[in-house]
Amino acid sequence: MSEKNISILILDDEPIVAKRLQPALEKKGYQVESFTKSSQALERVREQKFDIVITDLKMEGISGMEFLEKVKNLWPETEVIVITGFATMETAKESFKKGVFDFLAKPFKLSEIIEIVKKAEERIKRKKAPE
Amino acid sequence: MFTIKDILKGLSRWSGSAKGRSFKELFKLFREILQLNSTILDQIAAANQILGGDFVFDKHFIEDFVDKLSTNVQKLIFTLNEMVPGKYEGLIEAYQKIESDIISILEGRYIGVAKNILFYDEIKKWDEDSVGGKNAFLCQLKSNLGIQIPRGFAVTFYAYQRFLQRNDLHEKINRILETLDSNDLTIKDAAQMIQDEILKADIPSDLKHDIKDATAKLKKQIGPNPLMAVRSSAYGEDSEHSFAGLYESVIGVNEHGISDAYKRVIASTFNPSALEYRRKIGFKEDEILMAAGCQELINSKVSGVIYSLNPSDPVSDTMIISSNWGIGGLIVSGRTTGDTFYVDRKTQKISSIQISWKDKKRQLVDQKRLDIVEVDEELKDKPSLSLGQIKQLAQCALDIERYFKKPQDIEFAIADGGIVILQTRPLRIKYRAGLYPKGLSELGKKHKVLIEDRGVTVQEGVGIGEVHVLGPGDDLDKVPKGAIVVTKYASPRLAPLMSKVSGLVTEIGAVTGHLATICREYALPALFNVSGAISILQDKGLVTLDAADRKIYQGEVKELFFFNLEQEKITESYEYRLLRRILRKIEPLTLVDPTDTHFKPENCETFHDITRFVHEKAVEALVNLHFAGISTKDASVKRLKWDIPLDLVIIDIGGGLEEPTPPDSATVTPELIRSIPLKALIRGLKCPGAWDSSPVSIDASSFMASLTRTFSAEHMDPKSLGQNLAVISSHYVNLSLRLGYHFTIVDSYLSEKIRENYIYFRFFGGVTEAERRSRRAKLIEEVLAYYDFMVETRGDLVVARIKRLNRPEMEKRLYLIGILIGFTRQLDVMMINDTRINDFKDKIYELMEMKNE
Repeated sequence: MSEKNISILILDDEPIVAKRLQPALEKKGYQVESFTKSSQALERVREQKFDIVITDLKMEGISGMEFLEKVKNLWPETEVIVITGFATMETAKESFKKGVFDFLAKPFKLSEIIEIVKKAEERIKRKKAPE
Repeated sequence: MFTIKDILKGLSRWSGSAKGRSFKELFKLFREILQLNSTILDQIAAANQILGGDFVFDKHFIEDFVDKLSTNVQKLIFTLNEMVPGKYEGLIEAYQKIESDIISILEGRYIGVAKNILFYDEIKKWDEDSVGGKNAFLCQLKSNLGIQIPRGFAVTFYAYQRFLQRNDLHEKINRILETLDSNDLTIKDAAQMIQDEILKADIPSDLKHDIKDATAKLKKQIGPNPLMAVRSSAYGEDSEHSFAGLYESVIGVNEHGISDAYKRVIASTFNPSALEYRRKIGFKEDEILMAAGCQELINSKVSGVIYSLNPSDPVSDTMIISSNWGIGGLIVSGRTTGDTFYVDRKTQKISSIQISWKDKKRQLVDQKRLDIVEVDEELKDKPSLSLGQIKQLAQCALDIERYFKKPQDIEFAIADGGIVILQTRPLRIKYRAGLYPKGLSELGKKHKVLIEDRGVTVQEGVGIGEVHVLGPGDDLDKVPKGAIVVTKYASPRLAPLMSKVSGLVTEIGAVTGHLATICREYALPALFNVSGAISILQDKGLVTLDAADRKIYQGEVKELFFFNLEQEKITESYEYRLLRRILRKIEPLTLVDPTDTHFKPENCETFHDITRFVHEKAVEALVNLHFAGISTKDASVKRLKWDIPLDLVIIDIGGGLEEPTPPDSATVTPELIRSIPLKALIRGLKCPGAWDSSPVSIDASSFMASLTRTFSAEHMDPKSLGQNLAVISSHYVNLSLRLGYHFTIVDSYLSEKIRENYIYFRFFGGVTEAERRSRRAKLIEEVLAYYDFMVETRGDLVVARIKRLNRPEMEKRLYLIGILIGFTRQLDVMMINDTRINDFKDKIYELMEMKNE
């Protein structure tokens, strides 16, 4: 059980995304918190490290790109997964440059994001393993 | 994107017909139409697929979808206009109307039917947007589950809006609410002021008239001097927010009191608790829509309420039935709680009972008014329900819950005719947070997993039930309610099952196909393309299907069931509802019968209608232009030379015949046909036995008589003589046959690209009376459905379609159509009784089997 206790933060200004993702990820045994406002999500990230952050790019206030940059500065170990409805090659490239784990264009299938989360989880465990 | 201006410019480019244009030019346009057609249907299917709950999308996606689809529909209209300039201008208007409705829906404006009244018998699932959830849910019980409901009619949202507008009530209400905002009024006072305004307002005369007419019509069914119940049915009441119980129902009004009761129901929309609740959840007052249900009052001996799952202790897996003597059971009894029965959901046996002292009941006095009267002495401490009734009620509640995929709060009445359901709505269940998710990732350790990570999710959800393996010819009526159906193909013929089973697993099936759409419509958990499903699940008994996770467990997995109940249904969220509402303007096909006078551009109600209309007319243009004297200089025209009594002219517009065919020869033999779909059809037509319509002993002389009669010229329109025509290319056939009084069209494109493959088949006519002809239509329908066609039948017209199978599968079905054309051509004459349908069906299957051997 404890090996599955990976924590995930979801940020998307469209509530439906978190509404859909949170229970599906919880069902898989992850600990999930979700936010629709980037400022609040940022506050939460400052308090606590999340193993995985799933964020949208286009949002009011702090953009997803800024948000993921801040997350990576605070917690370089955190794996960030970007989901966006405005996918272009440029944004994909830019986010990968910023150390994003993976990039997913909306609409996507639940199984697709769960697959990516699983891979991120494996990488996190691999990094922890040698210690 | 095209603009309307472009289209109009296009319209004026040519006028009249397309005479002078060659078949090749027209065929190029025709191919463009086919491709657009295919793309549009793809887009619609993809959007529908998203409703299965397996995708994550947002509003931006919906806007994008609408934009792209709309552009393609415009192009389609434009292309048809190039084929037959100016002929179908009405399409643009129809398109604009649909487009503007869709934009309204996207902007959050309400779109419902523009009628004051809808009768319960005519209310469909999607009319929730016109008559509110409560009315629509109730009507589904009758149409889908065969459950008795009161007879009645709904007064629509449209009527509500007109009532408010006519009396300037929007402005008045807003003024009062502004005063409330400035804290000069209490909620109670504000509510009272609004309600007073509503109660003293006048009902528009047309609405008054419509209510009167509807009541008169109802009286014809239920008898003179009826007492009625007028119930609220608000917009969105039963979905995202719980307005349950906030609005008023008026029970026991006579026909003259309906208008006033209607006003009371409308006024109750603005009672203090409702006002306060809406302000709390941020629901805008102008978003509110209230419809009413006017129902016959059921003169019940017993009535009450069922909670299909005990809301305070869901894990106990019991339901609660409360009941009391008389009418309106518990509503009357502030003094008594009535009897309470706790019933085990699995066995439907009582697990505990509380019988209370029931001294008063409400009942009908003098057949014309309701009153509260003393209960007979010996009944006061008797249980108000028998064991048999409890079992029936429990079964009924489980059926309703299974249909809506959510625990239900159900109001019932028991009268002489049995159980009548008065109302049903979702029951809110509260769980201790996080009770179930913890163990869910490890379910595989506790429960045997029969199938894992196989197939695709068509509709997410959890279904628990006994496995029922369904073979191709099996009787659908024998499938038990609540079963998990396991079958080879996702055939459209299974559609009637989808409202009564718990889950569907198929070995083969298109996630964008018709049956998949039906699964989503009923939120039926479904997995398609699960290889080996039948052999794995056969004899497994009770299983649990988790469609989202693509897993099937042995036995009952309670944790999943409860986890699923706990979640707010994602398919009830705003975006899903928005997409569903938009798809209603896009997806349904209302123009089915091309021979109907209704089949006109102005009657296109959805984008699908437009697509269908354009396809039909494009096919027609191609065929008719030949007879209109179109130049065939770049096409090769030959008569088919064969020994089948079917005189067929073939027009090859490119690669349909072997090269070189003798150019001077006016005839061509079947061997020289290269067109893939025509070749398959001809094989069927030539099938030994197809033109020999004597599979069982029949009266041969009458058969011969009918044959000669049909072929004799006196019954034929001179113009239709020799009008058996096949327009072909290497991958296409458009076959139109006018054999006497039989009209057949086969339109098919067939190549190695599965995506583009389709067969369209239309058949109607006959020389006998309507009954025999429709028997034959039924035979054709059943045979085609058996081979997975989507079939629509109206009287003696059959329209069947199938798409996207690989080439061998498509060829097999064209072969079938070939057999059908030959075999059934005269069959109406022999359709003397219904058993003949099965005899002939078996013969056709036999002929198909012979092909396989």
